[in-house]
Amino acid sequence: MALEDYLSDAKRCCRCSYCKWIPLAQVKSWRFAKGCPSIAYKNFHSYSAGGRLAVVLSLSEGRSSYTDGLLDVVYQCQMDGSCDVACKICRYHMEPLEAMRELRFKLVEEGQLLPQHIPVIDNLRKEDNMVMKPKAERGKWSEDLDIKDLTTESAEVVFHGGCQLGFDEELGKVARTAVTLLKNAGVDIGIIRGKEENCCGGKAYDMGYRGEFIKYAENNIEAWTRAGVKTVVTSCSDGYFTFKRLYPDIGSKFEVLHTVEFIDRLIKEGRIKFNKTIPMTVTYHDPCHLGRLGEQYIPWQGEEKKIRGQIVVYEPSKPRNNGAGGIYEPPREVLRSIPGLELVEMERIREYAWCCGAGGGVREAYPDFSYWTARERIEEAKSTGAEALVSACPWCERNFIDAVNGNGDKMKVYDVIELVQQAI
Amino acid sequence: MAISREAYQALEDIVGPENISEEPAILDSYAFQWLAEFRQHGSKFMPRAGAVVLPGSTEEVQAVVKICIRYKLKCKAHSTGWGLYGAPITENAIQLDMRRMDRILKIDEHNMFAVIEPYVIGATLQAEAMKVGLNTHMIGAGASCSPLAAATSFQGAGPDSIFMGSGPENLLAAEWVMPTGEILRTGSLGSGLGWFSGDGLGPSLRGIFKGILGACGGLGVFTKVAVKLYPWPGPTVMPIEGTVPAYTAQLPENIRAHTLAWSTWEGYADAVYKIYNNDIGYIAHRQFIMFGDELQAAVLKILTDTTRTLNDLEELLKKPEIQKLSEEMRRSFQIVLVGMTPRDIEYQEKVLNQILAETGGWKIAAMEEPTMAGWSLLYMIKLCFKNLNYVYAGGFHDAMARAGTPDLVTSGWMEEMREQKRKFGKQGGIVNDGGDAGMGGVGTAGGGGYNAFENFILYDPGDAASVEAARACNVDAGHIAVEAGAGGYNFFFMEKEQVQALLAGRARPAIFQWQQKIKEAFDPNGVGDGSYLCLDE
Amino acid sequence: MGEKKEELIKIVGDNNVLDDPETLDSYSSDYSFVPSRKPWFVVKARNADEVQRIVEWANRTVTPLVPVSSGPPHFRGDTVPSEGGAVIVDLSEMKRIITIDGKNRMTIVEPGVTYSQLQPELAKEGLRLSMPLLPRRNKSVAASLIEREPTLIPKYRWLSADPLRCLEIVWGNGDKMMTGEAGNFASIEAAWKRYFALLNPRGPAQVDYYRLVQAAQGTMGIVTWTALRCEKLPKVQKLFLVPAKRLDELLDFAYRLLRFRFGDEFLFLNSFNLACILGEVADVIKALRDELPRWVLILSLSGRDILPEEKVEFLEKDIADIAQQFGLRLISSVPGASSGRVLEAILNPSKEPYWKLGYKGGCQDIFFLTTLNRTPEFVRTMYSVAEAQGYPASDIGIYIQPVHQGASCHCEFSLPYDRSGQVEVTKMQGLFTEASEQLLKEGAFFSRPYGFWADMAYNKDTQTTMVLKKVKDIFDPNHVMNAGKLCF
Ligand SMILES: Cc1cc2nc3c(=O)[nH]c(=O)nc-3n(C[C@H](O)[C@H](O)[C@@H](O)COP(=O)(O)OP(=O)(O)OC[C@H]3O[C@@H](n4cnc5c(N)ncnc54)[C@H](O)[C@@H]3O)c2cc1C
Ligand code: SF4
Ligand code: SF4
Repeated sequence: MALEDYLSDAKRCCRCSYCKWIPLAQVKSWRFAKGCPSIAYKNFHSYSAGGRLAVVLSLSEGRSSYTDGLLDVVYQCQMDGSCDVACKICRYHMEPLEAMRELRFKLVEEGQLLPQHIPVIDNLRKEDNMVMKPKAERGKWSEDLDIKDLTTESAEVVFHGGCQLGFDEELGKVARTAVTLLKNAGVDIGIIRGKEENCCGGKAYDMGYRGEFIKYAENNIEAWTRAGVKTVVTSCSDGYFTFKRLYPDIGSKFEVLHTVEFIDRLIKEGRIKFNKTIPMTVTYHDPCHLGRLGEQYIPWQGEEKKIRGQIVVYEPSKPRNNGAGGIYEPPREVLRSIPGLELVEMERIREYAWCCGAGGGVREAYPDFSYWTARERIEEAKSTGAEALVSACPWCERNFIDAVNGNGDKMKVYDVIELVQQAI
Repeated sequence: MAISREAYQALEDIVGPENISEEPAILDSYAFQWLAEFRQHGSKFMPRAGAVVLPGSTEEVQAVVKICIRYKLKCKAHSTGWGLYGAPITENAIQLDMRRMDRILKIDEHNMFAVIEPYVIGATLQAEAMKVGLNTHMIGAGASCSPLAAATSFQGAGPDSIFMGSGPENLLAAEWVMPTGEILRTGSLGSGLGWFSGDGLGPSLRGIFKGILGACGGLGVFTKVAVKLYPWPGPTVMPIEGTVPAYTAQLPENIRAHTLAWSTWEGYADAVYKIYNNDIGYIAHRQFIMFGDELQAAVLKILTDTTRTLNDLEELLKKPEIQKLSEEMRRSFQIVLVGMTPRDIEYQEKVLNQILAETGGWKIAAMEEPTMAGWSLLYMIKLCFKNLNYVYAGGFHDAMARAGTPDLVTSGWMEEMREQKRKFGKQGGIVNDGGDAGMGGVGTAGGGGYNAFENFILYDPGDAASVEAARACNVDAGHIAVEAGAGGYNFFFMEKEQVQALLAGRARPAIFQWQQKIKEAFDPNGVGDGSYLCLDE
Repeated sequence: MGEKKEELIKIVGDNNVLDDPETLDSYSSDYSFVPSRKPWFVVKARNADEVQRIVEWANRTVTPLVPVSSGPPHFRGDTVPSEGGAVIVDLSEMKRIITIDGKNRMTIVEPGVTYSQLQPELAKEGLRLSMPLLPRRNKSVAASLIEREPTLIPKYRWLSADPLRCLEIVWGNGDKMMTGEAGNFASIEAAWKRYFALLNPRGPAQVDYYRLVQAAQGTMGIVTWTALRCEKLPKVQKLFLVPAKRLDELLDFAYRLLRFRFGDEFLFLNSFNLACILGEVADVIKALRDELPRWVLILSLSGRDILPEEKVEFLEKDIADIAQQFGLRLISSVPGASSGRVLEAILNPSKEPYWKLGYKGGCQDIFFLTTLNRTPEFVRTMYSVAEAQGYPASDIGIYIQPVHQGASCHCEFSLPYDRSGQVEVTKMQGLFTEASEQLLKEGAFFSRPYGFWADMAYNKDTQTTMVLKKVKDIFDPNHVMNAGKLCF
């Protein structure tokens, strides 16, 4: 697809502003009604999905041109897709998130790079990670781990650590725990050990660097194929989304599971058992890439046609990614099955969860916006009375930890896996 | 053309650099508007503003207006900005976007009113009101709109008006930054006594800024208002079930939704009169007809089933039960009964049954089925799916409008407007929905007895030919509307000379000479953008 | 002067221009404390055309006009000329009920139409109007509603001025206009033809003209008809009394009912006011006052159309349950009053003489808008000022009327006194002034500022004053309409 393909979306945007809110049906209070971090933080209409569609149209009609202001509009956006869910509740032929992504691709293709992203991408190209670290540090989390190395061995399942878990000393334990749990449960699992593991390419994709994404996708697919892998498991929701939703377009046929799905399955099968109680009230944050963006990939190629004069439909029928098929229950089921743990819900959950603030290259380029977005979520978590905010994505967790520390809050931040391990 | 550096700087000094912009792309996101394509050039963009300003307080608004006077700039505010009337109709004006003023300042639980700023939307006010057993009137445009804008600046009626009145009926005191930059606080507020009354001292000055239509941003800026609230004997948080997008609400026994139908318009009208005479009903609206009389049942099926899309429409339309349901819904409307007590709901239901018996009406069985009833309840109570107006192709215009007494439906107009639009539908330029998408029609004023219809023209704004067809249909409809004493806001599509001709051609053109006088007195410096209609002498 | 009279005679005819001393006297003062001033002439207009010609004439000759619709006695000073050389435009002869539209529950009446005239006619069509509290028999319906007098049924006041809807007015500059949905049409008939029953008061276009006429005391123009929304005449109506020792005890209960919109007529009276309504002469009133409960919430339940009995029955049960929750009782008679008598009284205009005059022959009212929760404070203030001035608290009538569906309420103190003795008049003047000022200070909103309240209230709101003057200049540029009232 190209940006031109989204011009009709732009013209068909009715400027209703639904994309600024959580689905209006779900609004439970004044305080937590907002859905789009971008407009909430920046306030000008252009910092919303609808506003960006107007920008697309303005650009295409030559009414505006590339400026720093325009780049700011495009990039102060988390690419979290809350807008997309809200818009599509009533609109069957709008793809605001795709259009915004396409706008980024176009900017990058035309050399309109966001200065803050340039070093990050340079580092990616050199060091194969998105966290500005030397490649050599990637393997630390798994150094002493007794696990198959799929650079030389083969296994049914590959566990992908990813850039955030792979380099973050505090969070590395999540990956270690996950792999160990699965292995102990009898899963034939391995990792691409050390610096050989690659970035998934998903973040680069969200930032508009389609070329980088393709490169990493191809590399990873090749490595896994070589190791005879059938299933890809990850604890990183960004990676999960990338493998599940983006890789198939590059030819990937692997089954993709998030560890919470796998663990949920193992608990239900009795292969993981708890014998400790965790007396704690927690609330769960749905990572965008696991939740509303973590839906099944359904291939589609086709075109628009009209019936009854002007009703827009597709030939063949087009799959609808509207958040309905996201992964919401497995992490909750896991938490509910932990003895003593009480799960309380925030107001904005599931397909309409508020973003953690680390999406779309925002953490890298706009730390204040990123921090503010996370703070909003922490305030919401606090309003439930929970002691801990649990999630299933290291990017979310890192952003929350930083935001908690930045404010001296008492809120604890966990990955689902950590609580599972504590209860075993 | 940009505004002068001096003026820009002066505005920036008021709101700070982060709250003003003249970035072309940002200005265009404001110029982009629903219905803009109906204007002469067919562009989705209204005239571009010189700058957009986000004021954070009444004082800032006041200061901005004064700067506009000093630098001879036009100035127009919008709240959520849904509609071309929110954008200035002249180039280079200052667009005020009120979204930073979004606080609910007070909910007076006893006296049942709320004090709100412009960017409080229906959904947030309703959520907070429900927590204390109250509810807010919502305009038909739904939960994303500003109750302040509805009460002060545009129209204001909605499906719940029969019980909750319309926006302007609900307006108590208001804070108004007039085009002179002075602030008027109407009613009790002006005397520093709170928000409970919008009237007095003596005459009710709010009459100046809001008639059947408001000033559409052309006569100053409203910064705070009090609006009446209404009882809500339901849960403090609406329990929502179901999977996106087919959410539903399962509510207690005292809250019920029905779709009522008749085989004749006479029966329909009689029933509306009887509802008017018996004070029943919390929400009553001919709502789902908006999908078109031939398509409504199939669309409802799609909307309540997560697995379906519009691609299923044609297949569904072939099903006899769907055809039957659409036919059954030809002369129907939705009603929500809300009992304040168990005895109340029992009584209302009985009265409704008797009304149906006396008028030959019935409750449509398919709509009583739990999923459908739950979806209807959610739709009607929260008005949270209002951009369904655009579901087919993104284009909607409520052009064929008419208002009047309940027996208007017996005048033959319902069939006329259906035929008139059907003609355009059959040509393929607009959605061929059967012809009657005449939403409205039970009670658009507090207590009922008065109603309005809007027959939707549904088209594809992404397709120039479709826009052209919709425009032609609108022009055709426009004549009828003006003749009927309506006329809507079509003037936003017109150039100044056309507007003057339109006004001069009205049965009572003097009305707009009065407005001219008001404009001269209240906006001597011409800060307003021309949305307050004046007939030049 | 002769010339002027000639011109007026040309407009309304010989018999309708009055300048005999007796007539002029009767219009030169009323029961209020505004200074008396004789008008120059009294003209009786018979139709809108005459009214328009009178106003045009007044503009040409810059003659002050004072419109009057109701018959005497007047109480608020608004119909007493403030300037010399004024002409009273008496509309009381314009008594046409232009239409009663049973189906749409609308009636259109000229300004001389009174409640006593209108209600029986409406009843024939199965309708009635929600009334103010015992208006005097010759009270103009239009004048009462234009002045935003409260009516007894708060739930039917979606608009603060309900049941007033459209109207026709001759503005101060002589232009005639129909307001609301009527305003788009050349005539009422043309509007009807298009299915407009004149129920929608908004507009025409972007102005709510009818709001600018409200509580204007005739300073903006002269209204020549009003369209009013009626109710269905109840088939079953039952009245209940909810007695209490203190007003506060009734409020939470009242709020609950207002919220549910349970109850039609819905008002609070203290024992003295109720006694004045039920009794005729001072002795009877006194005895009744002492016998009646200190406060009564009067609540009527009506069944109007379908299943009327059932409606009243369920409401009675529900309200009794709610009353119980608040430790109150819903009863049909209290010592000194039965619900039947009270209902009979409040559904009709006042007996003669006017009910507030029976006790002492004179009466001063102090009324304002507030919210229900604040009424007990104002009652205390009124009592304490009365006490300080040596006025017996037991002689103060209190009427509290929720309006606008309970968003605000009208609070009215009636202070009977003997107008024949100068001492008592002076004392009353002192009390009236002092109490009004004190109440204002404590937050009473004198939304209809008659007489000396005008200065007092407008001083508190200079911006409204300034804007009102602008409006006045638009609609009455030569200031011929009732000069000297409000802030003009
Ligand atoms: C799908 C749809 C359905 C609709 N149905 C209905 C309906 O049933 N009933 C109805 O009444 N209307 C209806 N409308 C029109 C609707 O009322 C307007 O779109 C508008 O009032 C919605 O509120 P808003 O917050 O978006 O106002 P905005 O778009 O922000 O403003 C509406 C108008 O008021 C002015 N305005 C807004 N805020 C201020 C302010 N603070 N100070 C001064 N001027 C201001 C603007 O300039 C503009 O002219 C509908 C519109 C749409 C798009
Ligand atoms: S992108 Fe969708 S939700 Fe947002 S304004 Fe446009 S149509 Fe509405
Ligand atoms: S992706 Fe997120 S931040 Fe960006 S527009 Fe959508 S909701 Fe807003």
